[in-house]
Amino acid sequence: MFNDLNPLLHQQLRLSVMSLLMNVKEADFTYIREKTGATAGNLSVQINKLAEAEYIQVKKSFKENYPLTTCTITSNGRIAFEEYVTSLQEYLKPTE
Amino acid sequence: MENEKSMMSNEESLRIIRSMIESTKQDLRDNGSWFLLWGWLVFIACILHYVLMEVGYEKPYLAWMLMPVGGIISFIKGMREEKSQKVKTHLDEFMKHVLVAFLVSLFIVLGFMSKLGLSTYPLVMMVYGFWLYISGGAINFRPLQIGGIINWVLTIAAFFVGFELQLLFLGMAVLLGYIIPGYILRNRYNKAAKLSPNNAKESYV
Repeated sequence: MFNDLNPLLHQQLRLSVMSLLMNVKEADFTYIREKTGATAGNLSVQINKLAEAEYIQVKKSFKENYPLTTCTITSNGRIAFEEYVTSLQEYLKPTE
Repeated sequence: MENEKSMMSNEESLRIIRSMIESTKQDLRDNGSWFLLWGWLVFIACILHYVLMEVGYEKPYLAWMLMPVGGIISFIKGMREEKSQKVKTHLDEFMKHVLVAFLVSLFIVLGFMSKLGLSTYPLVMMVYGFWLYISGGAINFRPLQIGGIINWVLTIAAFFVGFELQLLFLGMAVLLGYIIPGYILRNRYNKAAKLSPNNAKESYV
């Protein structure tokens, strides 16, 4: 049924991350973890997958000697997310 | 969310998207601290300037020495907030641009005070009105917009009165445009914080 849905986005945590990043300019790793309720390990894996697909951009820096990972959605990611939502809407349309 | 291969229904997908939108929306909260800080500083400076003038003090304008103090407090407060900020929303970015536009306009007016003479305070209130109206619209907070409109009305009125009254008008402008909306914002923020303590930690202004 969901063949047309982008498999990279059709996963709970990745979809949560993408939905969150669609709404903000940038968010740091801790914030995303708090909002999604995911474990650091799982979140890290899923973020890497999204970054490999160039859906998000991950910037690593330091803040007061602590590593800081900041994520931003890319234009590719934005397009993919919009396509995903459009496909989803198609599925939700009542069948005639 | 642990299982990579967990199947999701379309309703589940929608629920996730909705809940993430909601959760970031709740971060668009302002505790009103900036409005209260500057509102009170300008209000006190106006009233002090007026009182010093009335009692015949030689340099009543020294009341405005509170402004550099406010600048230092703002710098420290801004640095702290920047450090604790875990997320930057598009609204944060927009508000930053509005703030820069506001400050540049304000400094131009204040910088040419000697040329502007009696038009200085009305123009200050005009710039205040501009900032309050836009900020209020951006965060969908009507009291700030009403404060902005009051500032514009006082701007027009201030063109027709002398310096002493202008000072009182400016005091009234910050009371109605900054202090009262600031307290309403704080009250709203505290109520929201009680309902969901985690989300209320963020502040965008």
